[in-house]
Amino acid sequence: MSQAIDRLAPGVDAASRPVRRLSSRVREAGLGYLLILPSLLAFVTFEFYPFVRNFYLALYRTPPFPGLPKRWAGLGQVGDILSSGDFRNSLKVTVLFAVLTVPTGVILGLALAVLAHQQLKGIGIYRTIFSSTVATSVAVASVIFVTLFNPQVGLLSYLVGQQDFLQDPTWALPAVSIAFIWQHLGITFILISAGLGAVPDELLEAAHVDGAGAWSRFRNVTLPLLSPTIFFATVVGSITAFQAFGQIDLLTNGGPGDKTNVLVYAAYTEVFQRNNIGRAAVLAIALFVITLVLTIVQLTVLERRVFYGR
Amino acid sequence: MATITGLLLAACSGGGGGSKGGSARASGKCPLGAIAKAPSKPVDIVVWHAMTQANQTTLTKLTDQFNAAQPDVRVKLVNQTGYDDTFTKFKAGLGSGDLPDLVQLQDTSLQLMIDSRAVLPAQACVDAEKYDLSDHIARVVDYYTVKNVLWPMPFNVSNLVLLYNKQAFTRAGLDPEKAPGTFDEIRAASEKIVSSGAAKVGLALKTAPEYPEQWLAKAGQPYVNNGNGRQQRATEVAFDNPVGLDVYTWIASMVKDKLAITTPTRGAGGLNHLLAVANGNAAMTIESSASLATILSVIGNYPSVTLGVGPFPGPPGQGGVLVGGAALYIVNKSSPAKQEAAWRFAKFLNEPASQAAWSAGTGYVPIRKSAIDLEPIRKRWAEVPGFKVAYDQLLAGATNAATAGPVIGDYAGVRKAVEDAIQGMVTEGTPPKQAIDRAAQRANAAIKDYNARVGG
Amino acid sequence: MAGRRLRVVARYTLLTALAAIVLFPLYITVVNSLLPSQQLLARPPRLFPSSPEWDTYRRAWNAGHLGRYLKNSFIVTALIVSGQIATSILAAYAFAFLRFPLKRTLFVVFLATTMIPFEVTFFTNQQTIVSLGWYDTYAGLAVPFLATGFGTFLLRQAFLQVPRDLQDAAALDGYGHLRFMTRVAVPLARPMVAALALFSFFAAWNQYLWPLIVTKDDRLRTVQIGLRQLRGESVSDINVTLAGTVLAALPLFILLLVFQKQLVRGLTAGAVKG
Repeated sequence: MSQAIDRLAPGVDAASRPVRRLSSRVREAGLGYLLILPSLLAFVTFEFYPFVRNFYLALYRTPPFPGLPKRWAGLGQVGDILSSGDFRNSLKVTVLFAVLTVPTGVILGLALAVLAHQQLKGIGIYRTIFSSTVATSVAVASVIFVTLFNPQVGLLSYLVGQQDFLQDPTWALPAVSIAFIWQHLGITFILISAGLGAVPDELLEAAHVDGAGAWSRFRNVTLPLLSPTIFFATVVGSITAFQAFGQIDLLTNGGPGDKTNVLVYAAYTEVFQRNNIGRAAVLAIALFVITLVLTIVQLTVLERRVFYGR
Repeated sequence: MATITGLLLAACSGGGGGSKGGSARASGKCPLGAIAKAPSKPVDIVVWHAMTQANQTTLTKLTDQFNAAQPDVRVKLVNQTGYDDTFTKFKAGLGSGDLPDLVQLQDTSLQLMIDSRAVLPAQACVDAEKYDLSDHIARVVDYYTVKNVLWPMPFNVSNLVLLYNKQAFTRAGLDPEKAPGTFDEIRAASEKIVSSGAAKVGLALKTAPEYPEQWLAKAGQPYVNNGNGRQQRATEVAFDNPVGLDVYTWIASMVKDKLAITTPTRGAGGLNHLLAVANGNAAMTIESSASLATILSVIGNYPSVTLGVGPFPGPPGQGGVLVGGAALYIVNKSSPAKQEAAWRFAKFLNEPASQAAWSAGTGYVPIRKSAIDLEPIRKRWAEVPGFKVAYDQLLAGATNAATAGPVIGDYAGVRKAVEDAIQGMVTEGTPPKQAIDRAAQRANAAIKDYNARVGG
Repeated sequence: MAGRRLRVVARYTLLTALAAIVLFPLYITVVNSLLPSQQLLARPPRLFPSSPEWDTYRRAWNAGHLGRYLKNSFIVTALIVSGQIATSILAAYAFAFLRFPLKRTLFVVFLATTMIPFEVTFFTNQQTIVSLGWYDTYAGLAVPFLATGFGTFLLRQAFLQVPRDLQDAAALDGYGHLRFMTRVAVPLARPMVAALALFSFFAAWNQYLWPLIVTKDDRLRTVQIGLRQLRGESVSDINVTLAGTVLAALPLFILLLVFQKQLVRGLTAGAVKG
């Protein structure tokens, strides 16, 4: 890039060039720092500072009210929380929720995208319908499903017989997962459809001419070419799943009996209902570690299977 | 400032050391006369409340009345829709400075508000003005008084009542004018209801943790130790005794024998117990008298339901119902003029005329004895006898440590432990003994954690 | 011939069945929002309103303050989206076209922010906002989200695709960085910018925890928290709550219908490049 800038003044003689190069390099660096400054400022204030502060907060027992003194607890508090049944439960629920929602969501989105990719008359209407849930937001989808699941009002209970799914320890988390998957179906569909659209028809034609059946075409041509998109959808999907909060707040409040108390929700109740910031800090750090591990795993293990042929 | 320190010193030296469970440090002086000295009138105050629907309408009417009747104070109501949300915002406000001048918080927040050190005790103003509390229902004042200090001004008192569908009772061959009053009577009635097909189950019961509290009080048993948390700060629960076990066993067996269903305590399903009676799935339920006005207007839409109101049923014993509902706390972070203004509004809401209008419009119990002779209540009680039930059972109860009501710092933690245990019992079939033991264990852990964090 | 027709019919049947399943929750919500209260509990449940009660929509709009909530959501979302695009363009440009010491380290720092989940930061950020005096303000709602490592990454990808010849030609023509950015780089990266704008929009519109903890009353509530409030206030009027839900979803539906093509195009640019 400095070559481009060098060429800004092609007629200058070689002797004075080193000086100009240095000062223009300084200017360039200055500009570079200036351009990243706004973002950096925001990051330091709202991402790194809180992140570091968590480690400090985790070592104190906070009083039930702001304004009263903190008490030093040291690593004891961290140890207590990490070994507590509550923490292990939240951990399990968080992971379970991701396992329930991410693969299902991606597979459903993929299935719908493939089905809607056919050359049928009026396929556009189906595409619009399948992408429609992108317009629902977390509160909209959650209120819709909380009504559907309501044993007194909802249709589902009438069909299945009165059971309150959101209060059932076994079914509460799957019920929340269904609401979550439905809400995100639209965007997953659009994402994968876009990826499908990029699969060149000629390749499929060629495979067809070679005698490959529909399933074989799908598996050997479409799927590999679609893998970057699917990978992207999975990564984004899992990050979203780990941060799911609104659905829990509107559907189950973490219950019944903490069976849907994901780490985010547990941290929220610790802070805003018990002012227990110390505990929340520990939960937050735990979640960070999990997200980090998961992303690394996805980047190394899954990405190897992504076909980037071009 | 100097007066406050002076009071503190006086309280410390006079009241003696062990100030656990409530506080001898009733700090704060009632700033009477501050409004007169205020630079600009009217003095505007913000009042946070959690009233909804019919109750909100009635409160707004009373507030408009107050604002119109005098030029010194203007009240602005802000609806926080729920006591929990109100308290969350209040705590946040302690940090951000965004506080109301008067805040309505539920009965269980008493110890928390004492510990917050953000409250001007009503006692200060009662003493300064020689306000007469003799016309108030004694049990109400006693509930909110800890170690001789009345912390909030009472306002909306409610307790639990039994709601039942008279038409379903008739169909089941039961006397529609006789409400079942004990656990056994409820069970018997439910059996008849189910076998006659009058409803799918007899009782729709919220898995509300406050019900066991009420049942133990009815049986004359304290809920936590140290005189129900009133002699000293509570350190342990006391509900894991035979009476408590009876309560848990009754709930479990009713559900197991398909005589009752359980419904959620809050959130979107929080009204399911009422909806169950409305659509014929159940014939009885338990609900706070506070919602009576709203319920009656909503149930009026369902022609197959005629609502009957009966006293809160429960186990036998020398107890009574607890004082429930909420009360008004004056926030001591406001300016003296605003604090006095808050006191004036709280006083207004305590007047017999206000209490009469309030009770008639909502279902809350009037806390002034003379209010029951006033027109609005007399009329209401004649029209809908159900409104009188809560009042009668409040006065009928015995006065002892159990019925004074528990005072617990981490009420929420204790209640969560109880709620989780009951839910586990009815959905997963945990044996009642195991459930109550687990509830006690987790409740004790919550209490211990709170006490450690608040530092005595 | 008949075989093929059968297959086509089968395909349409499958598609229609799936479409019905996807649409069903929305459909039943609209139906329930128009039912009078007592019919809501009818068993068997009603699938079609015989005498629709349009009044629920009026009530949801007025008593539910939906107009205000929608306005707030739009304002906050607009602030966040424009902030994110602006800061991402600037930063991505620096990373793609400029040289400065520690560039690689700083880029990793930017990427690292995508690893930090919201749970880790929300309570400290709330306290920061409060001490800045931004509690219950638009600033408090938007400022923490004005920068995005993810967006910087996306736009840097796009900028890196700008052909070398263009850069050189621009340099020869005497283009300074500002002109190059605005006249060449950004226009060429438009699909990616659009994709970023769309992701930003949906993320900002769907924010739930943050608006919950930095607003204190109806004045600045966004539509997500507004719905939560509405559900709390009219818990016995489920039809009103559902009407409010439909109203809250309506703007996005309209946007979806209007911008459908651009949406797909924008996401194609984003996703396929991995």
